[in-house]
Amino acid sequence: MICPGCSCLCDDVHIKEGKVFNACRRGEGIFSKYKENRAVARVDGREVDADTAIEKAVEILKDSKNPAIYGLDTTVVEAQKLAIDVAEKLNGYIDDNSSFCLGELVEAVLKGEVPTATLDDVRDNAYVLVYWGTNPYHSLSRHMSKYTYYPRGKKRPRGYDEDRFLVVVDVRKSETAVLAKKNAKFIRVDDDAELVDSFIKVIDGRAAKYAKEAGMVINEMKKADFNVIFGGLGLKYGLKDLNKFKEMVKKLNEVAKVYFIPAGFHGNMRGFNETLFERVGYVNRYSFRDGRSDEEFSFTELLKNEKIDTALIIGTDPVYSLPFEVSSKLGKIKTIVVDPRMSFTARIADVVIPSAVSGLEAGGTMVRSDGIRVKLEPLEEREVNDVYILSRIKEGL
Amino acid sequence: MMRFSKFLKVEAEIIVARHALVMDETKSKAEPVIFLHPEFARKSGVKEGDVVEVEASGRVVKLRAKISERAPENGGLIPNGIYASYLTNFDSFKRFRASIEVSEGEPTGVEELLGKIKN
Repeated sequence: MICPGCSCLCDDVHIKEGKVFNACRRGEGIFSKYKENRAVARVDGREVDADTAIEKAVEILKDSKNPAIYGLDTTVVEAQKLAIDVAEKLNGYIDDNSSFCLGELVEAVLKGEVPTATLDDVRDNAYVLVYWGTNPYHSLSRHMSKYTYYPRGKKRPRGYDEDRFLVVVDVRKSETAVLAKKNAKFIRVDDDAELVDSFIKVIDGRAAKYAKEAGMVINEMKKADFNVIFGGLGLKYGLKDLNKFKEMVKKLNEVAKVYFIPAGFHGNMRGFNETLFERVGYVNRYSFRDGRSDEEFSFTELLKNEKIDTALIIGTDPVYSLPFEVSSKLGKIKTIVVDPRMSFTARIADVVIPSAVSGLEAGGTMVRSDGIRVKLEPLEEREVNDVYILSRIKEGL
Repeated sequence: MMRFSKFLKVEAEIIVARHALVMDETKSKAEPVIFLHPEFARKSGVKEGDVVEVEASGRVVKLRAKISERAPENGGLIPNGIYASYLTNFDSFKRFRASIEVSEGEPTGVEELLGKIKN
């Protein structure tokens, strides 16, 4: 089975006699507890049946002057396409978590601004593995064991002992940084931009703050024809300007072969980015009314600036994950939540529509962090799933 | 006996990061916890299990302190989630300054934070 828990989309999970095998701690929790804390259909705090909740959602959306659709990173591509249809029909906004997560880096990959590779290629070929601003120990628990550091690959038969060189860049000594002992380097940074600048300057033969560290990593990269940088949220928020980072990757490729893969996001965030990109040419924060994407159309900015009166929130929990100055505005607008769980946001929503857990109770397609498309194999089929709900909403409009 | 550290308010660097050991895939609860670096905790008079008041952006939550060498040396780590979200903003989403002091009573409950959003 495919685990939909994170963007690794591990394909070797199986369940036997009620026990979950091969999953990480998080994946195990998803499979063993998927029947817990299930959402209950509600309208204004009153329990109703799912059809009544869907009808109420349609009514609210029809009455809305400025609606936004948000979330979608834990659902399947087929539901994401329908959500885009609904946003278009409403002439409204659509956005996902990637606008404050790694969307900009995924966009760089989709536009070919940085060279990229698949995780399978990494397993077989990669020598230097740079984890920059990400701690896969907690965020992508099987990333290193399944795809990168530990496995033995075609061109890397001796595994991490001799055939990999691990680099960890972080502001603290994370669990991943602790692994950086033999054939490895931990670079503790206070300002990520200074390290980016150091790589560029070292290649140009100039002095730099992290010249010693950057020089060492570049020398290791020169030993192989395949190296990779995994960038996480620490990288995004550590840099004010990602263009410098893209410039650094290009510069590194003048002296060695270096690929980039974004690391650390929801199961199908890249699926949403690709789906919207194919449809309108942008990966997120899109306004159908304006026919373009812009920072001001990100869900967080729309909420903060009180530009929307209704939010249709699908498979995400902004009350849990967004800063209070943003999430507190949800209490002032109409909120419709589509979620398998009684999430924190569902607890304050005007309408709750219970759905199926994608991957466990509904099939479909998800896209791994490296762009590989994966078909989900659900344990059971639940009729009221995201595709059904969004189809009903689309028809109702 | 009254502890001196009760009156000690210290500045801390807070990192917000995913923490698989306190995540709840059922979305039913959130653990009110802050991981403090052992050296920082010692200097600040915080012991494992203490309830500490964490203040940032003019907002305050009470969290249970745990000691971890994986926290930043001059502060602590708060896992991604409703408590970190309550304290942070997008200008300092994953890393911010806060003040910390030992407190009394129980950690802040989720319902209290949800109540602030509803109102």
